[in-house]
Amino acid sequence: MRTLKRASFAIAGLAVTVAAWGQVPPPASAPSGAAPAPTTLHNSGDPTLALTPGLRGATAAPKGAPPGNPDPHNLEGVWWMSGYQYMLGPDVGVPPPLKPEYMAILERRIRAKNRGTPEADASTQCLPHGMPRVMESPYPIEIVQTPGRITFLHEVAHNVRRIYLDRPHPAPLTQTFLGDSIAHWEGDTLVVDTVGLNDKTFIDDEGSSHSDQEHVIERYTKVDNGSTLQLIVTVEDPVTLEHPYSYRRVFRWRPDVRPQEYVCEENNRNAPVEGVTVAK
Amino acid sequence: MSALVKALYGVFSATALALAAGAAQAALPDLTGVWLIEGHVGAVKTVDGGTPALTAAAKKVYEEHRRAAAHGDYSFDGVTHCLPPGLPRLMLMHEPFEILQRDKIIYFVHQLNRLPRRAYLNEALPTDVDPHYLGYSVAHWDGSTLVIESAGFDDSTLLDNAGLPHSEDLHLTERYQLSADGKHLHLNYTVDDAKTFTKPWSGQADYTRQVGYEVPEEVCAATPADKRPRS
Repeated sequence: MRTLKRASFAIAGLAVTVAAWGQVPPPASAPSGAAPAPTTLHNSGDPTLALTPGLRGATAAPKGAPPGNPDPHNLEGVWWMSGYQYMLGPDVGVPPPLKPEYMAILERRIRAKNRGTPEADASTQCLPHGMPRVMESPYPIEIVQTPGRITFLHEVAHNVRRIYLDRPHPAPLTQTFLGDSIAHWEGDTLVVDTVGLNDKTFIDDEGSSHSDQEHVIERYTKVDNGSTLQLIVTVEDPVTLEHPYSYRRVFRWRPDVRPQEYVCEENNRNAPVEGVTVAK
Repeated sequence: MSALVKALYGVFSATALALAAGAAQAALPDLTGVWLIEGHVGAVKTVDGGTPALTAAAKKVYEEHRRAAAHGDYSFDGVTHCLPPGLPRLMLMHEPFEILQRDKIIYFVHQLNRLPRRAYLNEALPTDVDPHYLGYSVAHWDGSTLVIESAGFDDSTLLDNAGLPHSEDLHLTERYQLSADGKHLHLNYTVDDAKTFTKPWSGQADYTRQVGYEVPEEVCAATPADKRPRS
């Protein structure tokens, strides 16, 4: 299996080299070259390891909508992801650089999904989605800026992220589903640093594991005069990952959209609290 | 969603113009911060210390709720299975909430299961809104008083922690006033629901600013059923 994995990485031409912790590879964007993104884990062709196809996601705001605010330090408003992916690796169709034992768990989860008996995860139990998964949403995200704070109000499952610009991470840290987030500006880029995450969530929808040692760095930069918000995510986890990795996403400015009431708990009657199987 | 979005879309430009003209914004009180209600509210009282006058049908429902509660059975209360509590109850629970005051939207972000609430400033209340647990809210400043009008409520929620019911006709008006020292917030609210009450009635609540308090991540689904706040 490990041979297969390495071979498929080589075929995809997507192997990432990192010399040391803290040195982060440049993020890939769309799959490079003519080769289509893998549709099975490790590009194996194994149907039991089929990956859930991504979604096109949000398009630009309709004509006539108010234009984005060109102020690079004003991120306020409703943003909606374009190009939603179920697996959050360094490139489309490529898994996070999980250590072998955690890659085996991802394979188990993908096989369970493809059998129609997916393993329970945070989202099916109406728990917050964890990081960085909560940012990969096919639902809009509203950003609110107040003195010393940036708040992300997610439509999906009414997730809330409070990001503090005026303090360091507290010590000791309380572990939570979405962690403790602090931020600062580096030029026109907002750098958000998140630690204090519990290990009850996954990195992504497919089920890549992270530990409570996970460290997520997000870099938000407005581009195209405020019509697009670029996000570069770097994930570090000395327990589950071989090395840190990064990926890039974009959100569309959508002033025409108002986040709606999303009540996960309304449909939670049959979800298990413990155990694994959620649906037939 | 799309019908509502389309209906609301036209007001964007009018709102933007109104705000551009409104240099008076600077004089408004700043409600941004974390707040906690003073005291514990069980059954709501009207401002003159009475009880809201229920219609016969609503009285029957309320008494069923009280009988069940007397036996420790709160299954009539969606909050016990993590559903949003509705309004004004959410504002009357002993749980901190954070106000984020912006020019176009006032956000209430509650500690209780991280529930968000938005009141859109200087817009008319839509006349045909799909029912939601927390309704649909618009706001305006009446001098230094923030006035929020809400409608479009799902009738499965309760008005208070004791089990006071309401119908989908519920129309709620909230008036928030900040004290001169900025440390206290007073709420006067009016409930208008002819199917539930024989006449509109008003209640009140007071909140204290929680300086330095950071709202923690409170997750109902991760909280054992007997530990979930319901008042």
